[in-house]
Amino acid sequence: MVTAEQLRQVVGEENVSDDPAVLAAYASDQSFVSRLSPHYVVRIPSCDAVPELVRLARETRTSLVPVSSGAPHFHGDTVPSAGDAIIVDLSGLKTIDLVDPKERVASAVGAGVTFGELMTAVAEHGLRLNLPLRPRATKSVVGSLLSREPVIMPHYHWDICDPAGSMEVVFGTGDLFRTGAAAGPGTLAEQRAAGGRQKEAAGPSAMSLHRLLQGGQGTMGIVTWASVRCELIPTLEQPCFVASDDLAKLLQAAHWLVRLRLGNELFLMDRVYFAALVAEEGETFLQLAKEAPSWLLFFNLGAYRYLPELRIEGQSADARELLQGLGLEAKPSLAGVSAWEFLEQVRSPSPEPYWKLRLCGGCQDVFFLTTYKKLQGLIDVMRAAVEAAGFSLSRLGIYLQPIVQGTSCHVEFSLFYDRADARESATVRELAIRVIGPLLAGGAFFSRPFGEAARLIMNRDAATVEALKKFKAIVDPDGILNPGKLCF
Amino acid sequence: MALADYRSDMESCCRCSACKFIPLEKVTGYARANVCPSISRFEFHSYSGGGRMGFGLGLIHGRVEYTPKTAEVIYNCHLCGACDVSCKYAMEFDVLEPLYAMREECAKHGQSVPVWDGLVAGLAKGAPLVLEPETAEDDWFADLPVADAAERGAAACPSAVLYHAGCLARCTRAAGRTAAAAVTLLARAGLKVAVDKQAESCCGGRAYEMGYRAQALARARENVARFAELGIMELVTGCAHCYQYFKVLYPKLGVEHGLKVFHITEYLWTLVEQGRLSPTRPVKLRVTYHDPCHLGRLSEPWIPWQGVQRMRHMRVYDPPRVLRRGTYGVYEPPRRLLESIPGVRLVEMARSKEYAWCCGAGGGVRETNPEFAAFTAAERLAEAQDTGAEAVVTACPHCVRNLMEPGGLVSAGASAESRIRVYDLVELLGESMSGGA
Amino acid sequence: MTLTKEQYRALAAVVGGEHLSDDPVDLDAWAWRSGQAAMAQDFKPRFEAIVMPACTEEVQALVRLCNKFGLKFKASSTGWGSYCDPGGPGCIMLDLRRMDRILEINEENMYAVVEPYVIHAQLQAELMKRGLCCNVNGAGGNTSALPLAAHEGIGHMSASCGIGERNLLACEWVTPAGEVVRLGSLGSLGEWFCGDGPGPSLRGVMRGNVVPLGGLGVYTKAAVKVYHWPGPPSVELKGCSPHYAPVKLPPHFLLRYLSWPAEEGREAGIRRLGESEICFGVMGFNANMMAANVATNNEEELRLTEEYSKQIVGPGVCLVIAGNSARDFEYKRRVLELIVQETGATSLKAVEEGEVHDAFVWRFIRVTASIRETMRATGVFGGEVFGTDSYLVQSNFIQHSRKDKAELVARGLVYPDNTDPFITSLEQGQLTHSEVLLRWTPDPEVAQAAAEYVAKANRNAVEGHYGLPHHLWGDPQHDFFGPHTCNYTHWLRKIKKAYDPNGVAESTHHITAAE
Repeated sequence: MVTAEQLRQVVGEENVSDDPAVLAAYASDQSFVSRLSPHYVVRIPSCDAVPELVRLARETRTSLVPVSSGAPHFHGDTVPSAGDAIIVDLSGLKTIDLVDPKERVASAVGAGVTFGELMTAVAEHGLRLNLPLRPRATKSVVGSLLSREPVIMPHYHWDICDPAGSMEVVFGTGDLFRTGAAAGPGTLAEQRAAGGRQKEAAGPSAMSLHRLLQGGQGTMGIVTWASVRCELIPTLEQPCFVASDDLAKLLQAAHWLVRLRLGNELFLMDRVYFAALVAEEGETFLQLAKEAPSWLLFFNLGAYRYLPELRIEGQSADARELLQGLGLEAKPSLAGVSAWEFLEQVRSPSPEPYWKLRLCGGCQDVFFLTTYKKLQGLIDVMRAAVEAAGFSLSRLGIYLQPIVQGTSCHVEFSLFYDRADARESATVRELAIRVIGPLLAGGAFFSRPFGEAARLIMNRDAATVEALKKFKAIVDPDGILNPGKLCF
Repeated sequence: MALADYRSDMESCCRCSACKFIPLEKVTGYARANVCPSISRFEFHSYSGGGRMGFGLGLIHGRVEYTPKTAEVIYNCHLCGACDVSCKYAMEFDVLEPLYAMREECAKHGQSVPVWDGLVAGLAKGAPLVLEPETAEDDWFADLPVADAAERGAAACPSAVLYHAGCLARCTRAAGRTAAAAVTLLARAGLKVAVDKQAESCCGGRAYEMGYRAQALARARENVARFAELGIMELVTGCAHCYQYFKVLYPKLGVEHGLKVFHITEYLWTLVEQGRLSPTRPVKLRVTYHDPCHLGRLSEPWIPWQGVQRMRHMRVYDPPRVLRRGTYGVYEPPRRLLESIPGVRLVEMARSKEYAWCCGAGGGVRETNPEFAAFTAAERLAEAQDTGAEAVVTACPHCVRNLMEPGGLVSAGASAESRIRVYDLVELLGESMSGGA
Repeated sequence: MTLTKEQYRALAAVVGGEHLSDDPVDLDAWAWRSGQAAMAQDFKPRFEAIVMPACTEEVQALVRLCNKFGLKFKASSTGWGSYCDPGGPGCIMLDLRRMDRILEINEENMYAVVEPYVIHAQLQAELMKRGLCCNVNGAGGNTSALPLAAHEGIGHMSASCGIGERNLLACEWVTPAGEVVRLGSLGSLGEWFCGDGPGPSLRGVMRGNVVPLGGLGVYTKAAVKVYHWPGPPSVELKGCSPHYAPVKLPPHFLLRYLSWPAEEGREAGIRRLGESEICFGVMGFNANMMAANVATNNEEELRLTEEYSKQIVGPGVCLVIAGNSARDFEYKRRVLELIVQETGATSLKAVEEGEVHDAFVWRFIRVTASIRETMRATGVFGGEVFGTDSYLVQSNFIQHSRKDKAELVARGLVYPDNTDPFITSLEQGQLTHSEVLLRWTPDPEVAQAAAEYVAKANRNAVEGHYGLPHHLWGDPQHDFFGPHTCNYTHWLRKIKKAYDPNGVAESTHHITAAE
C-alpha cells in the first residue's frame, strides 16, 4: 500500500490530496458505475514525474486511474473499479510545445490542455482543430483523442485515430515511450532541429501503439502528451441546414457530400438533439423539440487561400444540384437558428453548464458505430426500447456523425433525464443496459464500450479479448493501470 | 542459343508477377485478369514466367536437376508467349526464349516426352506431327482444281505462290475442309496458287517447341530446299503455327529462305481490300475473335541480335537490342475480314490481341497433357460466351480443334461446357462468298 | 532440413497433395532473389515446401501444424519483395495465391473487402465500375490490394486516397499461435466497416507504418477504405502493349510535371498544392522517373531522361488533378495556375498534352508504373526508403543522403540517373514520405557499396535525428536504431514473443524475440 509520503516525494507536497471532498469528486461521475472512492488524488506537475509514480505504484501494487479532463465525467472510466486506487490527475499538464502552421500540427500537447486552450493557441497560427461536437469546457484534447471521440469534420477524418499524432506514454512497467515519429532518434528538441514535428502517429516500425492507447481508458498506459493534427482556418465558409422528415434521403445526401468532400463540418441530428444543443432554457427546448423538422443535416463549405469565392460558388452549386436530385434543399437557417450561429456553437467548447446537462441535469449516452444501411433499424430498436421503458421519446436525442470519411457512422442516443429524480435515473440506467443486446443484434458495433456495458460487449468477441490481454500483459504486467475496466 | 546464354535475361526477373496477369493497364475487372494458363491451372509459382526464370537459373547453376518433375513443369506450358508480352510491358528482357531453351535442355537431358519422341521420329521423313490422323494426307485437295506446285512452270503456278496447308489439314477432316475453303477463295479471286501435293511436309516448328531443335532444323533446311526447288516466291499458310515458324522460327534457326510469308487471313484481307473478293452473302452471326498466339503476339519478325551491354547499370546494348514485345502481331487483318462479312457482328473478348488467352493447343500440351489443354480451352470458351457471341472465330486449325474438342477429350462439336460454336475465319468467309465472287 | 514424411503428410492432409510441393523445381522458383534490394546473393535459402491454402481455416490448420512440428512459416501474397524470402532452413511458404476473392464492395460506406491475392489492378477496375477507386501501392497494380501486404502501402494517389496503414478497416488475422482474431466490427458483428475495438485497437499490434513482413502471422482478409472516382466506369485504350493510351481521356483530368530551381520552390509548391486540396495524386518524381514512366524501353528512357533533364529546372513534382464536376475542375485548374505563378514553377511541356499526357494519367491511376521506374534498368532496385512525418524532416534527410548517392554514381556503382531524390505528399500534404532510390547490377563490389550506402544513410538518420526509415529488415538493423529510438525494439520483441510464443512466424526481416 502506497503512502502519502511516498507520493509526495514523487510529485511534491502540494500535489497529493486525501481530502474527502477531493476524493469524492472522483468517486462517481455522471454514469451509473458503482461509486468507489480513490485513496489519493495525485496531481501531476510535469511529465517527468509519471514514470517514477508508476514505478512506485508497481512496487506497492497500487492501482492508478489516469484522468486528463476536468469534471463532469460521463462514462465511468475515471471512477476506480478497484479499492485503494490513486487518481493520476494530468489536467495540470498544460504545455503546448510547438505549433507549426506549415506542417499543420500542434506538437506535444500536454494531457491537460483543453479544447478551448488549444483552439486559441493554434488559431494564432491560422489553424484549427477537428474536434468533437461542442465539447465540454473542461474536456482535455488528449483525453478526447484517447477516447477516439467522433469529430465533426469527416472530410478530414482519414482514420479513426485522427487527429492524433505522436504520443508520449508511460506504460505500467514504468517505462517511458514515445509513439510514432516522436520515438526518435533523438530528443524532441533534436528532432525539431532536424525538422521533425512528431506528427506521424504510426510506428515506430511495425507497431502503432497509439492505437492501443486509444480506446484503452487508461488501462494501457498514462499518456502525458500527444501531437494533434490541425486543419487550416478557412478564409470563407458557407454553412447550411438541410431538413427533412425522411432520414434515408438525408443519409444519402450525407454520403454524397462526404464522398465528394463537399463540406467540412457535417453531421445529422434529430430535432430533440438539435433542441438540446441550441436551447438555453426549457421553453425553447420544448418548442424546438416539437416544431423543428424531424431530422436535419448540417454542412459547412469551406475555402482557403486561393480563389475562395470561386471554390464556394462551385461547391455550393455542386451541392445544390446533388440535393435537388434528392428533393432536398439547403437553407441558411432552421427553426429560427441561423446556420452561422449554429456553426459557431458546434465548433466551440460548451460554456458551463455543459450543454448536455443544461436542461434536465442528467444525460446518458448510448453510442456505437454502424453502417448507413443499418441505421434506421437501430433507431427503431432504440425508440422501441425507450417506449418500453416508459421514458419519453421527446427526451431521446439522436446524433449521427459520419466518421472516417464516411466508412461508418457514429450513432449517439442521448437520454436527457432528471438526475435528481431517482426513479427516472433508475429507468435510464436500466434502459441503457437493456438496449445493448437488441442494438448488438441489429448491427451496432460498440467500438468504445464503457462502464457497465463494457463487459457485455467485450464478451461478444473472445478472440479479441484474449489478444488484448496479451498486449496488456506486456505493458502492464502487474495490472496496476485502471483495473476493472473493459476486459482487464 | 543455349539456356545458359539467357542467364542475363533470366537474372533480370525481379519477381514482380506481371507475367501472371494481362498488361495491367488493360485489366478491366476482377475476372479475366490472368494471362498465363499454366499458373492459372497449376498455381505454383514455378509454372509462371517468373517462376520459370527462377528455377531456370537453378538449372543453370546445377541446383535443380532435369527430373521427370522438372520436365512436367517445363512441358506444362503452352509457350503462348503471354507472359513475355506482359513482362515486356515494363521490363527489358526475354522471357519466352529461355523457355524454348529449357525444353531443348530437357530433351538433351533425357527428359523429353515419350509421345513426342514418337511423333518426331517421323519428322525426318516429313510425316505430320499429328497423333492418330483421321484422314489420308491428300484428302483435303482431292476434289479441288488446284495446281500441284511440283508441276513446274508458269502454267501450273504463275503467281509463284504456294499454299501450305499444314499437318492438321493433311490429317483431320475439319482442318482439311478449311484448307479446301482457303484455296477455293484464292481461286475465286483469280489467284492461281499451288499446293505441293506430293511433298508438303511438316514445317517442323512444333518439334522445335518440344525441344527437338536438331530435328526441327533439319526439317527447316529440307523445306527451304524444296521451296527453292519449286521456285516459290510467296508462301501462304492456313495454319498460324506454320506461319510463325516459316516467318519467325526459320530465320531464328538461321535458315534463311527469302520468301514472303503470309497467313491466309492477311492474304484474303488484301484481296478483299483490292476488291478481288467481295463477301456478299449475309452471315447473321454475333462472333468473337480468338487471336491464335502464333498469328498474334508471336508473329513479329525475328530480330537477330548479338552485342554487349554498354552501360554497367542499364540494360542497353551496343548495338541496340530491340525486343519483340508482341506489339506488331497480325491482329487487324482477321478482324477486318470478319467485319467485311455482311451480317457478322464482332465483339471482343476481355483478353484479346497481344494479351489473348491461349486456346490450349500450344506447346504440345494437347498431346502431353490433354486435361490441361482442355482447362485452357474451357477458360477461353467461357470468356467467349461472356461476350454474348454465338460463335468464336479463329484463324488456326490448332485453335479450332482445341476449342471444338478441348484437349481432344470431347468427341465432336462444341465442348460440353460450351454452347458456343467454333469456326475458322476462312470457313465463315467462304460461306459469305457462296454463290458468287 | 527437409520435411519428414509425417510433416509432409500432415500438411497435405490440410490442403490436398496437389497444393503442396517440396520439389526443388518449385522451391527454386521462389528461391531466385527478388529484384528488390538484391545483393550479391543470387539465390535465397529455399523454403522446405510451398503450401497453398485456400481459406482461413486451412491457414489456421497449417499454422497449428507449424507450432506442433517446430516448423517456421512465411506467408506471401504476390511475393515480390525480398522480405518474402526465408532467412534460413526450416521454413515453409504459405503461398496465398488461392485466396483471391473480392468479398464485398460497399459503395455506401466506401470500403472493399479482399483476400490477399486480389491485386490492385483488379480491385481498381472493379471499383471504378462503381464510381470508386483505391490507393494503388506505389509498387504497382500487380501487387496485393490487401492493406497489410505491402511493406508501406504508399502510392501515387495517397494525396487523395490515403495510405495502407490508415486505410485498413476490419481484418482477419491468424496469429502465429494459430488463433483467428477478427478485428473490430468483424469480431463483434461479422461486418467490415471498422477495425478498431471494442476498446483498444489491435491494428496497432498487427502493423505500424510498416507491416511485420510475415513475422506476426497471416492476414487472411481485410477491408480497405475506398474513395470517390471522378472518372467513367471504364476507359477504352488504343494501341498494343507497351504503347497504350486512352482513346479519350476522362473529362476533368489534368497532369502536370512542375519543377523549381531549388528545393525551397518545390517545398512551397507541394505545401500549397496540399493546402489547397486540388490534387488527386502527387508524386515528387524526378526527371528520370518521368522518363521511365513514359518510355517503353531502356533506350527510350535514356533518351527521354536527357530530353526532360534539359527542360526540368530542378526538384520537381508530378501531379494529377481530377474534378468531380466541371466547376470543380475549373477551380482546381485555376488554383494550379496561381501556384505555378507564385512559386515560379516550370512545367514540363513534353507531358502537358496529347497521347503522352493521357497515357501518363491513366498509368498513374490504374497501374502506377513502378516496374518501369524501378526495375527495368537492371532488374534490381534499392536505396533508402525513409520514413513519414513533416515535409521539412523528410526533405532535410534526402538532401543529406543524396550526397552519398552522388558519390556512388561518381564511382560508377549505381545507375547514374543524376536526378533528385523522391518525395511525396500524403493526405493533402498532412504527411510526407521520402526515398533515395538506387538501381544497380548486383555484383559483389556493387552490393557491398549499396549496403554501405544504406548503412551510411541509416547513420545519417540517427546522427541527424531525422527519424526511422521504413525499410528496416531484421535484428541487426532494428538493433542499430532501437537504442536511439525509445528502445522500440524492446516492445516490438515483446509483441513478437507474446503472439508467437514458439517463434514459428519466420522473422528474418521482422524482428526475433531474442533480446
